[in-house]
Amino acid sequence: MNSGPVNSGPVNSGPVNSDQVTPGPVNLAQVKVASTGVDVSGGSAEAPQERTDKRVPAAPILLSLKGIAKTYGAVSALTGIDLEVPDGQILTILGPSGSGKTTLLKVVAGFEAPDSGDVELAGRVITYATPASRGIGMVFQNYALFPHMRVAENIAFPLQMRRLARSEIRDRVGRTLSLVGLAGYESRYPRQLSGGQQQRVALARAIVFEPRLLLLDEPFGALDRKLREHMQLEVKHLQRRLGITALFVTHDQEEALVLSDRIAVMNGGSIEQIGAPADVYSRPANRFVADFIGQSNIYRGKVAASSPEALTVTLSSGQTFVARGASPRPIGVEVGLVLRPEAPTRLTDQDSRDNVAVGCIADVVYVGDAIKYSIRLDGGGEMVVRWPFYRNEAPLGVGETLRIGWAGDLLHVVDWT
Amino acid sequence: MDNGRLNVVKRAPRRIPVLRSEQGPVLVGLLPILFLGFLFLLPVARLLMLSVEGGTLVHFHKALFGELYLRVFYDTFKIAITVTLLSLFLAYPVAYVLSTASPQWALIGFLFLMLPFWTSILVRTYAWMILLGRNGVLNQILVGLGLVREPVALLYNVPGVLIGMVHVLLPYMVFPIYSAMLRVDRDLLLAAEGLGASSLSVFWRVFLPLTLPGVIAGTALVFILSLGFYITPALLGGGRVIMIAVLIEQQVRQFLEWGFASALSIILLSFALLAFFALNRTAWRRTA
Amino acid sequence: MSAIGVLRCSLKAAAIIATCWLVPAVWAQEPPKPAQIVFNDSGGDMTKAMREAFYSEFEKRYGIRVVTTSPIDAGKLKAMVESGNVEWSVTEIGPEEAMLAEKQGLLEPLDRKVIDLSGYPEHLQDRKFIMPKGVYSTVLGYREDAFAGGNGPRSWADFWDTKKFPGPRTLRDSPVDNLEFALMADGVPPDKLYPLDVDRAFRKLDAIKPHIAVWWKTGAQSAQLLVDKEAVMGSAWNGRYYVAIKNGAPLHIEWNQGMIKESAFVIPRGAKDAYWGQKMLALITEANLQGIYANIITYPGLNLKSMDYVQADLKQFMPTNPDNLPKQVWTDAKWWLENGSSAQERWSKWILAQ
Repeated sequence: MNSGPVNSGPVNSGPVNSDQVTPGPVNLAQVKVASTGVDVSGGSAEAPQERTDKRVPAAPILLSLKGIAKTYGAVSALTGIDLEVPDGQILTILGPSGSGKTTLLKVVAGFEAPDSGDVELAGRVITYATPASRGIGMVFQNYALFPHMRVAENIAFPLQMRRLARSEIRDRVGRTLSLVGLAGYESRYPRQLSGGQQQRVALARAIVFEPRLLLLDEPFGALDRKLREHMQLEVKHLQRRLGITALFVTHDQEEALVLSDRIAVMNGGSIEQIGAPADVYSRPANRFVADFIGQSNIYRGKVAASSPEALTVTLSSGQTFVARGASPRPIGVEVGLVLRPEAPTRLTDQDSRDNVAVGCIADVVYVGDAIKYSIRLDGGGEMVVRWPFYRNEAPLGVGETLRIGWAGDLLHVVDWT
Repeated sequence: MDNGRLNVVKRAPRRIPVLRSEQGPVLVGLLPILFLGFLFLLPVARLLMLSVEGGTLVHFHKALFGELYLRVFYDTFKIAITVTLLSLFLAYPVAYVLSTASPQWALIGFLFLMLPFWTSILVRTYAWMILLGRNGVLNQILVGLGLVREPVALLYNVPGVLIGMVHVLLPYMVFPIYSAMLRVDRDLLLAAEGLGASSLSVFWRVFLPLTLPGVIAGTALVFILSLGFYITPALLGGGRVIMIAVLIEQQVRQFLEWGFASALSIILLSFALLAFFALNRTAWRRTA
Repeated sequence: MSAIGVLRCSLKAAAIIATCWLVPAVWAQEPPKPAQIVFNDSGGDMTKAMREAFYSEFEKRYGIRVVTTSPIDAGKLKAMVESGNVEWSVTEIGPEEAMLAEKQGLLEPLDRKVIDLSGYPEHLQDRKFIMPKGVYSTVLGYREDAFAGGNGPRSWADFWDTKKFPGPRTLRDSPVDNLEFALMADGVPPDKLYPLDVDRAFRKLDAIKPHIAVWWKTGAQSAQLLVDKEAVMGSAWNGRYYVAIKNGAPLHIEWNQGMIKESAFVIPRGAKDAYWGQKMLALITEANLQGIYANIITYPGLNLKSMDYVQADLKQFMPTNPDNLPKQVWTDAKWWLENGSSAQERWSKWILAQ
């Protein structure tokens, strides 16, 4: 049974439980380690100060979707989508393929009309307006650069369609090309460019006419990892500098975490959760989100005791864990316990935590800047933990026994169903 | 031993791509080259020799300075150009409809399009007579409705020839344009629309240029095929339309004057090649 | 035994041996029978009639299958002979093209020991390369319903008279016959036609040009145009009108001033089974078979006795019928051999002139 959108945005938009906000340029390594509350948490609070324009922090809603539904024959692609994007933010629609995210983007762009519901852009209902009249910039998955036009012609296209003066077009094309770092490439054809360069041209073409909204449909999918990470940051900086509002579609959760002010997780045509990346990451609304975003240890158990402060859950293996900060639930109800791999720490025999487990290491995997250990728990079951890898510290070996523990508020409770 | 085996394993996958990428095309291309050389170049060489038989250029002189032949060359090109343009204007929308139709409907469309191929020229001509003749369906309707008093001459004149030729040649125009349209990434049209282009602009600035290679291929095909037409113009032109191929045929079959026929053919071939290269240049400029 | 006796004896023996050898040698003059021979004719109704009258008889008599191809094509004949790859054993050919082919050395001589032309008119008996088979005539025809009370055109002068006989017309897209028709329409007596006054003929043709709805290209077209009412009168080969009439079309054949000519068969030089081609031609000269053929398609044979085999009711459709023959004019194939090419060029120019 799919419970649909469990939490809507505002519920999760509270303060982020992070003590290491990173201002300035994003450190990619940290993003990947993705301990709770990466820099992305700064999105809503910090971003306005970084922007060049002077918008009030409580940005008005630019794009608002109300009850958007769309079916293709018997297949329901979108089921009552509600979504709001504040001016100047990047909202990412994250979901597996077939979740309806591209359809949603097409509805916003005007390539598809919804069966019901409304699209509002800057207070105007544009549900059935032509794509041309919407003034929305879009970067396609395959860039959709016009192969018969040179780079400059591609970028000039939306300006020509708006009948701007020739000199104005030349100026703007030049400026935008320098902005994306492609000055000097004016007379190349798209096929003479690398994937990353094509991507920049597509971006330039989408922003040159200063659209109110920028749509990005999996734009980095075709790039190799290094280039992808580079472009992600570039797009983010550009977005910040120009103060563009963007709706970004991806199936890559890492990408979503890096780029977004907020993330909407989609599944089966509906939104499962909307929230700041750190929220979605650390407090997934349900099992789907927990599973889809990041790597999680998810344990099935029954509520043994419930109080406003703590929820005691007994796993089928007999182990008992305590979660704090979760809403009370009736005794005996089945729940899922979500524990991010960064959450547990290694304990000495003297240390104590809300939750403690003992196990032996079954597997060791190096992931560059961190090590993932698979721990077979004494009480039964497995746990994956991920700890930073320090060069001066010898990693633990397979077969070593260790004691681990974590605070109750790091254990997140979701409904099992 | 192990080493040897490993080497074989390692080398094997490497060798196959080498054969494919370097020798493959040569081998594959050799057969058509031999085929073309044997069936096309050799006869053309013989044609050339026939046209200057006896070491004189009298045949060329007659072909290029006799007023009849230049006139017929001119008419032939005029008709070929008209047929090509008419086919283009008809084929483009047809190809578009087919490219957007579902596979089943596209197949049915193509069957209809190909019908004239499977019908003999005489049957086709007769069908046109039934439709367009003095007492044909169309004239009966026109006269019956009182739109015209006398039947209109739709056949046995230049329009008749154009109708008949376009009918037969249309598929040659539709196919290349259709395949060019299929290759157009529909996202490009969406992108253009999203960037503010009206439907007309999407067509002129994006769709048409992208299908231009197909248009050029179809134009070249239809134009060059039209140049060599003779049965259709002879039958539907009522004898009033003379294509150069008719004169060549007379020289070959009636007067057994092969030298002169060869000279006419060589001139026609040169014109056709010239037209082809001109079109090709445009195509290259457009897509380079 | 004396030496001479021995010699005589051996001579005798030699003679006997020689005779024994000679008998099969005579037999051997008849080449082995091929499985089939290829006969190239004009196709259509003509092939059907040829099969009924001649091919089936040949197959029965010699056990050799007759395969047919069409159409007749002098250019192809030339190509076959010059490339040495002759596919046809016998081919039909137009009268002028036949003379051209003879001049260019493309034909196998007729084996007059095999082909007996003694039943033919005397002036045809000395043929060396071109086998005359029968005759056909390009005649004036018209729709009876267009001219009430049998008041149709009776001459080419009438054909040219568009006031008295209104309506669209059709003529063949060729100077052959049309130059003659024009001159007769202009008052030249039939026996004074040749050599043709080409200038005068084209001047007269100018007058009829606007009234020609279609210049026909193929035999089938000529009669069909009248059947479809695309034209009310025209010229056609007489057999084409006959087939239309037989099928119920209200057409009338005017024999007066028809241009009559002989149809010819030839054996291409180097034909594979030339001997059996000669046998085939010999069979075609037979009067009763020519009669059968004429009954089907109204193209009579040239064997004078063949008319004896023609059905009485069909005689009116035969160009050689004593009532019809005197009205017509024999085409001078020699004139056309010499002037055909230039006449054709002028014809094309004239057609294009607006």
